[in-house]
Amino acid sequence: MISTHRMTRAAYLESLEVFRGFIKERCAAVPGVTDEILYDMQLAVDEACTNIISHGYAGMDPGSIILDLNIDSDKITISLTDFGHAFEPSSTPIPDVDAPIEERELGGFGLFFIQQSMDEIDYQVTEDGNKMILTKFLRKLDGG
Amino acid sequence: MLKYFRIKQEPEKVVPDLGAISISLLERDATLPFTIRQLNNLPENVKQRMYRGLIPPALLTRFGIDPIQWTNASKEQMVSLKAEENSEKVLLTAQSSPNVSDEFFALELADNSLNGIELNLIVLNDPATPRYSIDQTEDGAPTMFGTLKRNLRAEEAAMQAGLAPGQVRAGLGSSRVVLEQLEAFLSMLGHRAYFLEPLTYASAWVFERRGFAYVRGHKLMDDIHREFQPGGKLYQYLDDRSPFRKRNQASTVRGCAWAIHDGILETLDLRWDNIRMVKQIGRHAGVETFSQGTY
Repeated sequence: MISTHRMTRAAYLESLEVFRGFIKERCAAVPGVTDEILYDMQLAVDEACTNIISHGYAGMDPGSIILDLNIDSDKITISLTDFGHAFEPSSTPIPDVDAPIEERELGGFGLFFIQQSMDEIDYQVTEDGNKMILTKFLRKLDGG
Repeated sequence: MLKYFRIKQEPEKVVPDLGAISISLLERDATLPFTIRQLNNLPENVKQRMYRGLIPPALLTRFGIDPIQWTNASKEQMVSLKAEENSEKVLLTAQSSPNVSDEFFALELADNSLNGIELNLIVLNDPATPRYSIDQTEDGAPTMFGTLKRNLRAEEAAMQAGLAPGQVRAGLGSSRVVLEQLEAFLSMLGHRAYFLEPLTYASAWVFERRGFAYVRGHKLMDDIHREFQPGGKLYQYLDDRSPFRKRNQASTVRGCAWAIHDGILETLDLRWDNIRMVKQIGRHAGVETFSQGTY
């Protein structure tokens, strides 16, 4: 592990810009992090945090979102922890992006965007919070 | 956004119901957490050995109390353990002298409905400092630390002496070491987090500094801080209408806490209610809602 960083903010929309800035500040100069990778990570965190704000903390005065950033030589791992309602990733259908636009339902693209932006996604419900762990590899692993 | 997002209807227990603690259970997976109730069902001496780990030994020796026997030099019992069989709570209290009625240390833990751990009560009072009877009215009725009723004269004196709402004496300055001890105890049990509901704005701020995050109320804390800034709505209501609403209170955590205790949030249709905090074992959340704040 090269470095670890942590930022905690309240779960409301104004925090998204702070998280985006934090990721840029900590990752932009990391070898292997291109503008595209940076954008993908910011997009994934934006979508994941929006879900926490809209659903995880729905119906209560919002609690915290903890963003942990672990920077390795070959990957960046972003862990988002919240203490709201846990969600069921397995029950979340992936939208049909090939359907004609008039037949598509509004919304439902958050998890899809996260999956498209990141290389690995894990979700855990633990005693110390709900954790979405997003991984971005910085270079392709050589086969064999 | 996730239109199809599904939240879990029934939260799962973080600690399974394992039954009584036995040697065979101890030999199993060491990461399995134990509940307070399980500890309370242990034999008395085993229970005492376990709960001894909840009080920092140096805190006891500071008051001349033997950290093993819990007695003073005269062999009088100075630490009390209330951990009844089948109860989901444990209360530990310690007093500095048989003649001093107030405890300098009190800590209550409880299992919650998910078998996680709640810190229900933590009191760290310096018995050598003056006492302010904010916990009872002038005719002796309990005030529940000023939450049910108020003893305004005692509260004003306490505020002028530099205390925060809810304090009957100055603090011991030991919250860091006590909470570190608590974490060591909970990690021994196999827990990864514990929870509490802060009594006051000042205590929430202290818990932030000790590494807590919010389950509920982080936005409220941000809102409170913003509105206490010059030009903010709460700042406007620091208008000298009571001894607890002076303009200069906005610059300190205690000052804001006394104004909140005095009901200033009602001017914004808010209440100091339902705030819930969480501490991840071994991790500092880094929350700072009153940045660079003076206590």
